[in-house]
Amino acid sequence: MEINAREKDDVVIFDIEGEIRRSDISDLTLHQLVKDQLDTGKRNILLNFQNVEFIDSFGVGEVLASYISTNNLGGKLKIAKISKKLYLVFQVTMLTKVLEIFDEEDMALDSFEKE
Amino acid sequence: MAKSRLYRILSRIGVEIRPGEEVIASLLFLYFFFIMFPYYIIKPIRDAKYLIGPGSIELPRAYISAAIAVGIFVAFYSRLQVRVPRRVLIISSLVFFIVTCFLSQQLFFGDKEYTWMPLVFWIWANIFIVVLVTQFWILVNDVFNPREAKRLIGFVGGGGLLGGIFGALLTGVLGRKVPEYLLPIAFGILIISIFVVNSIFIWQRKKNPPVDKVKKKDQTKRTKPAKVGFLDSFNTIRKNKYLMLLAVVVILTVIVATFIDYQSKTVIDIYEDRIDRMLLIFGFFHAGLLVLPFFISIFMTSAIIRRLGIGLTLLLFPFVLLLCAGGIAVWPILPLAYAIKASDKSLSFSVNQFVRELLYIPISPELKYKAKVFIDMFLNRFAKLLGALILLILAFSFFNVKKPSVASNNVDILEKPGVVEKTEVSVKSEALEKPDVGKKSGGQRLTDESELPDIRKKIVRRVSVVSLFFILAWIFFNLKVSKEYTKTVKKKLEIKWDRADRMVAEKVDVDYTKLVFDTIESRDRSSVLYAMNVFDLIKKDKLTPEVKRLISHKSDEVKMSALGSLFESGEIGLLPEMDEIISEDVLEKEIGEIMSLDVYQEVMKSYMEKALKGETMESETAKMEVAKAIGLMGSESPLALKLEELLWDESPEVSKYALESAAKLKKKEYVPAIIQKLSNPITSEDASVALKRYGDTITGTLSDYLSDREENVELRKGAGSVLARIGTQDAGDFLTWELEEGKGEIDIEVIDALDRIRSENPDVQFRVATVETKIVQKIKEYCQLFVKHFSAKSKRKKAEKRKILPEDLNVLMMNIFKLFGLIYSREDIMRAYQNIRVGTKDSVDYAVELLDNTIRKEMKEIIVPLMEDLPLEERVKRCRGCLKDLTRSNKKNG
Repeated sequence: MEINAREKDDVVIFDIEGEIRRSDISDLTLHQLVKDQLDTGKRNILLNFQNVEFIDSFGVGEVLASYISTNNLGGKLKIAKISKKLYLVFQVTMLTKVLEIFDEEDMALDSFEKE
Repeated sequence: MAKSRLYRILSRIGVEIRPGEEVIASLLFLYFFFIMFPYYIIKPIRDAKYLIGPGSIELPRAYISAAIAVGIFVAFYSRLQVRVPRRVLIISSLVFFIVTCFLSQQLFFGDKEYTWMPLVFWIWANIFIVVLVTQFWILVNDVFNPREAKRLIGFVGGGGLLGGIFGALLTGVLGRKVPEYLLPIAFGILIISIFVVNSIFIWQRKKNPPVDKVKKKDQTKRTKPAKVGFLDSFNTIRKNKYLMLLAVVVILTVIVATFIDYQSKTVIDIYEDRIDRMLLIFGFFHAGLLVLPFFISIFMTSAIIRRLGIGLTLLLFPFVLLLCAGGIAVWPILPLAYAIKASDKSLSFSVNQFVRELLYIPISPELKYKAKVFIDMFLNRFAKLLGALILLILAFSFFNVKKPSVASNNVDILEKPGVVEKTEVSVKSEALEKPDVGKKSGGQRLTDESELPDIRKKIVRRVSVVSLFFILAWIFFNLKVSKEYTKTVKKKLEIKWDRADRMVAEKVDVDYTKLVFDTIESRDRSSVLYAMNVFDLIKKDKLTPEVKRLISHKSDEVKMSALGSLFESGEIGLLPEMDEIISEDVLEKEIGEIMSLDVYQEVMKSYMEKALKGETMESETAKMEVAKAIGLMGSESPLALKLEELLWDESPEVSKYALESAAKLKKKEYVPAIIQKLSNPITSEDASVALKRYGDTITGTLSDYLSDREENVELRKGAGSVLARIGTQDAGDFLTWELEEGKGEIDIEVIDALDRIRSENPDVQFRVATVETKIVQKIKEYCQLFVKHFSAKSKRKKAEKRKILPEDLNVLMMNIFKLFGLIYSREDIMRAYQNIRVGTKDSVDYAVELLDNTIRKEMKEIIVPLMEDLPLEERVKRCRGCLKDLTRSNKKNG
């Protein structure tokens, strides 16, 4: 798994590539990377799932932990470009009730701006 | 913001003004000045014309007529004020009073004498003061939020008092020589007030530009004025607890003031038998007691309100009166009569009236306009009549004294809604006519003249006793209203976010979600794991058709398929036979029985040993299967102890399944291994979930790890997080202990853990002294960091730094508020914090006001000044001051 961070319109975007699995974690977890951004005062986080093929329960835990840390500081964490398969899993597990998921990155960025 | 000359002047004379407020504060000062100035010209003319005309014997007729006229006027005005824009309404009212003032001048000082004119003028003067003063205070309410009003109300109100002094002095000077010039001067001053009012609205429009026309039109359509009338205003108050309390407070204030006025005048009457001396006394009060409240309001009111808060300031006036009335009840002597009158006048006009105006500020405009007009215009007059009526009843019922005449030389200095126009009810026939004392107007002797002072003393005592009850009721309702005030302020602040972990827990079944993902993931890895995960889903009663379809798709197809086709394909799974087998209860029972068989245990034992030694094919998967299987067996199984070994396994996948099974079996032997998993970010979440299942039984063990400085920091943080998830009183106590004893390296996590407990279990209590000590420590750190960050010497650096508040400061501020949330209502504190952090200027002020009314005095004196919306330089100054104070108090406490 590879995670790259970039910034656009005051939103930190994490481009994630590969599978977010327990067995595929390098030095830093997704949650750790999000926390680092929060520590610098960033409050708007977008996870770009365009190149995420699969996530396991650990990955879900990481996404939720990142969401909680961001929200507890008054920030927002959103997801964009999730595959239909993953969206379906998110839907069945009701994660879509909590996480804001967008088809396109621009739409997600607009939603940050509107808030 | 650049400081203007006006700002500097006002600051220098002691007004607590902030840059940008000087213009509006001065305009409001002038507005009040220009309406009270003419009133103090009009009022003596009203009294003199009436006493010379109909005479004091006819005063009750004037009171009653004025009360009825004001009542009718309120009904009309209530309807008018929701239909007419405020600016038009105020200016039209001023024009109306200018024109009618001019007409009065013609009628009073013309060639012809009209006998009805004194009564009409009396009623007119009453409507004049009620309308103009109510309009003034409504405008003050519109312009200021509670924090601004607290600082500026004394100054703004001082304008009215100064106007009163000037008006009274001018009347005194010109009254004897050229009385016909007085009314033209009054309406001339009113003309000036129109320009002042206009300037106020121009200022307001500049500050809050109107919404665009289309929007405005839409809003107008939506907010078509509701039917507003006398009954509607009454119902508005009746249905709103806060407004009801405010109304009761006003009624009690007016009744008590009526009693006080009576007591003081009667005592003076007992001891002073010369008219000239009496005039001197009343004259002294007129002059002296108008100047005193002016200075109090300009220099002390804001400081008193800030220091005591709204609650205590509201109690100040009734407490002083309680003492004086109590004194008079025992010793009806002259010094006490002066004291009670002096306290009444000075505190009523300078403190009580102003703090009561503050109570209206947090009310929504729609309610405020309806209620304020009704309370200030109608209830105020009604209460005055009620007070007079009670006095009459007291005088008649307690003594066998036939009807005394109700005389009054109205010595009121400043009339405002909510401030009483004093009614003197005296048992003597004419207030200033000593020779008639003891006689009815018809000359009939009621009692021996020599007994009269004793009778009066007795009446005064009785009235004092009754007034004590009213004052106690007044104090009670003041306490209630100040509590309700805090609730009303709170309603102005919205919660912007809540703890997300609580929200996630409420909306998402995290265990189930993870299981679905694990099941999908396991299908490609091992059919055994897959089957066991499916079995878990069945046990949780979560194997819905959608889940069944989802988890049984071939992986490649799932990855590629579209959302719609997934549900439409009709492909059912890798385990089609499950559909036939699954009679869920039977399946669960069967599997349970199989796993508890001795022979099964024996067979599995040797397999597990091989798997643990890595002697099987795909050893990692085999270990995962074993870990999962142990979880299904039950804690009595001899194989359950094998799990400990798996918990120490280095593979995160194996650990995950082992932790999951450990959470099910909850054997104490697993605890050390699980706790070690907290230090690894990959396993910490699963370990936390597992440890949480142990509940209170492991809080002591977790606390040992939490406080062990030798231990890995991440592990210690993890232990804190688990204690938060357990969330019991014990868990809270251990965390508080760490807060007290710890060196601060994991403060952020400990405070967050405590906050989580508080948010999920509001019943858990924390040691106040420990929390407060920590708050002070964090405030100190905050101030040090603030001063360090913003004290850059070069202007360029200063400007750069000003743009960003370092994240460390935000974190410190958040922790300070989380700590406050442990010992006060967490909801209130978070409301205040979030609005201070990301709110508008007004919401910051309301948030600070909420803190001011929530936190105990010693603590709020430290935190409130730091949270106020201030220019940067001022904030740095306050941080420095706070550091000095804290150092000083540290030294003092050794």
